[in-house]
Amino acid sequence: MPVTPPRSLAELFLGFLSIGARSFGGVMPWAHRVIVEERRWMSPEEFTATIGLCQFLPGPNVGNASIVLGRKWFGLKGSIVAFLGFFGLPFLWVLALASLYSEFALQPGVKSVVTGVAAAGAGLFIGTAIKLGKPIAHKPWAIVVLMACFIAVGIGRVSMLIVIPAAALISYYLAKRGLL
Amino acid sequence: MNILLELGLYFSLLSLLSVGGMPSVIGEMHRYVVESRGWISHNDFVEMFALGQAAPGPNVLISSLIGWKIAGVPGALVTLAAMCGPAGVLSFWVAGVWERLQGTAWRAIAQRAMAPMVVGLILSGGFVLATPGGTPDWRLWIIAAGSAWAMVATKLNPLWMLAAGAAAGAILL
Repeated sequence: MPVTPPRSLAELFLGFLSIGARSFGGVMPWAHRVIVEERRWMSPEEFTATIGLCQFLPGPNVGNASIVLGRKWFGLKGSIVAFLGFFGLPFLWVLALASLYSEFALQPGVKSVVTGVAAAGAGLFIGTAIKLGKPIAHKPWAIVVLMACFIAVGIGRVSMLIVIPAAALISYYLAKRGLL
Repeated sequence: MNILLELGLYFSLLSLLSVGGMPSVIGEMHRYVVESRGWISHNDFVEMFALGQAAPGPNVLISSLIGWKIAGVPGALVTLAAMCGPAGVLSFWVAGVWERLQGTAWRAIAQRAMAPMVVGLILSGGFVLATPGGTPDWRLWIIAAGSAWAMVATKLNPLWMLAAGAAAGAILL
């Protein structure tokens, strides 16, 4: 199947709009569906490489991907258009939902339900950590760095402004020595 | 200091620290806005997190909900722009360089160095959210463990885990 990059800024905007609008329960699967399967803007391999870069960079993955892909096809204009298309609708919906929620927040039972959802959401983070951690679990030094970050940030509540630079230095040194 | 300015500066810093995305900085965000500044309560934070997770769209919108709770619609716009802006500029700039680094030793080392940090930070975010005030509540831990298990062991859409959490919350809490 041949791939054709978006031909106009309008097409780019609508593509990212449809990713943002439909992404219930996670953005990445929808980004793949729209970009690779429906609109065939790029091959699955190119998509994976782009996402790999965006996971390496700080910031929201698919938000970064909108900027990187917009640039690839249309330069700075493309980055801005793709970013706005992607965030426009979800931003409005989430604020509307929050306003609606404040109306009901004091109803009995609402708090229990929301606390339950948040705990399940916390579990999704823990599940993500387990999935990402599996490939490195056999390396003793990786476990040391991982646990040190967890104890400092999660339990000790030390600021990330201190933890990240320190951990990055140590981790980079270990990786360079082939220990990670 | 003007609260919007402070939100903007703080979330810009978080933006650059958010390797691994939003999950990596949620623990730090909680530390700052709830524990250190006291702008909102733990409950408010958890509610906004739950809404952000359940709504369609990228989970970085949790930061705009927190901004909204602290300073209304201007707060929502400022936090979202600050959370995406610096990382976005970096992405724009790095996108060109990264291709050229493909296959170099430095790139492989940097990727290996980051993996355990990201995992530790995401774990921290999950732990902080499921452990209000640092006091364990077994009911929350059971719900969190259940959804973590479902995420690892099945290919279900995460919305099902959130729905199960809602039901468990209604019964247990």
